[in-house]
Amino acid sequence: MKILVVDDFSTMRRIIKNLLRDLGFNNTDEADDGLTALPMLKSGKYDLLVTDWNMPGMQGIDLLKAVRADDDESLKNIPVLMVTAEQKKEQIVEAAQAGVNGYIVKPFTALILKEKLEKIFARIG
Amino acid sequence: MVEENELITDDNIARVKDLLACMEKGHEEDAIEIIDELTAIRETELYQDMGKLTRELHDAISNFGIDDSVSIMAEKSIPDARERLNYVISKTDEAANKTLEAVEESIPICSDIYNQASELHSSWNKFIRRELSEDEFRGLSKELSGFFKKSEGLSTVKDHLTAVLLAQEYQDLTGQIIKKVINLVGEVEDKLIGLIKITGAPQYKKGDSSSSDDGSSLDGPVVPGLEHKDTVSGQDEVDDLLSSLGF
Repeated sequence: MKILVVDDFSTMRRIIKNLLRDLGFNNTDEADDGLTALPMLKSGKYDLLVTDWNMPGMQGIDLLKAVRADDDESLKNIPVLMVTAEQKKEQIVEAAQAGVNGYIVKPFTALILKEKLEKIFARIG
Repeated sequence: MVEENELITDDNIARVKDLLACMEKGHEEDAIEIIDELTAIRETELYQDMGKLTRELHDAISNFGIDDSVSIMAEKSIPDARERLNYVISKTDEAANKTLEAVEESIPICSDIYNQASELHSSWNKFIRRELSEDEFRGLSKELSGFFKKSEGLSTVKDHLTAVLLAQEYQDLTGQIIKKVINLVGEVEDKLIGLIKITGAPQYKKGDSSSSDDGSSLDGPVVPGLEHKDTVSGQDEVDDLLSSLGF
């Protein structure tokens, strides 16, 4: 299981990486916004994308849309978990419509991350 | 703007009566002279009013200027506040990294000790039940020595916990800085209200938070106590919303 964690704050990336490691996911990479993440996703064969929304350069929602519009079937269908401080209903709906697989609002707990990941993987089967 | 009691004076009434008399008698030149006089009175009052207004405006502007706090704010306080806030960012960043470092180094030590303790526990239970062979017992005592050696790592964990504790000092420092900046924002607000009053822009009351929300920018974290339109509060509401969308 290879996971890409995208967030502009290095501390948040570090927290997520540590929580993922605690859940048994040791193979994680980091990117600080959508622009750096997208080429990594295209070449890296990731199994899960965990992304923030509000980032300079390319925002998480645009990264999600770019991924869903990609020609590569496996990238197009990669599960995407949004972890963000954005709590507007409108935005959550937008993310859902863009094809997000999970939406976690910050601040979050290790348990919530675990639950959402389990839910995502259960659905993929 | 002309006050009535200044216009309707005995002198002026007499002038108007004279004017009427002159006109009835057909004394045109005299009539014009009186009209000029009346016009002059009117104009003087107009000029006086304008003068008064100009003075008020001038006073207001110079009062605004005399209080050079505005220029101090623009030249010093605001750049200063920006520096302070940047310092807050670097302090919180530093604290977060220190904490993360300490935690990242502690977790493997703890899990290592925990794992070995579990192993020892099962061996120990076997020993109590007298199920341990002589060889296994030798193994157990070796394991125990190893465990004691490993548990020395706990002193490192303890040091890390102290580091985490100390890293929280940022809260005190950044709290003080942010308070100062909040005060400055309050002062700037007051000055801006003063400026709005002088320029006669639409009335604004302090604390009126009906600011325009164009909805185009991202809101960021929800702050307790501030009104947030159409936002969810917490993960449960996010989950409810998503499940209502068929998630």
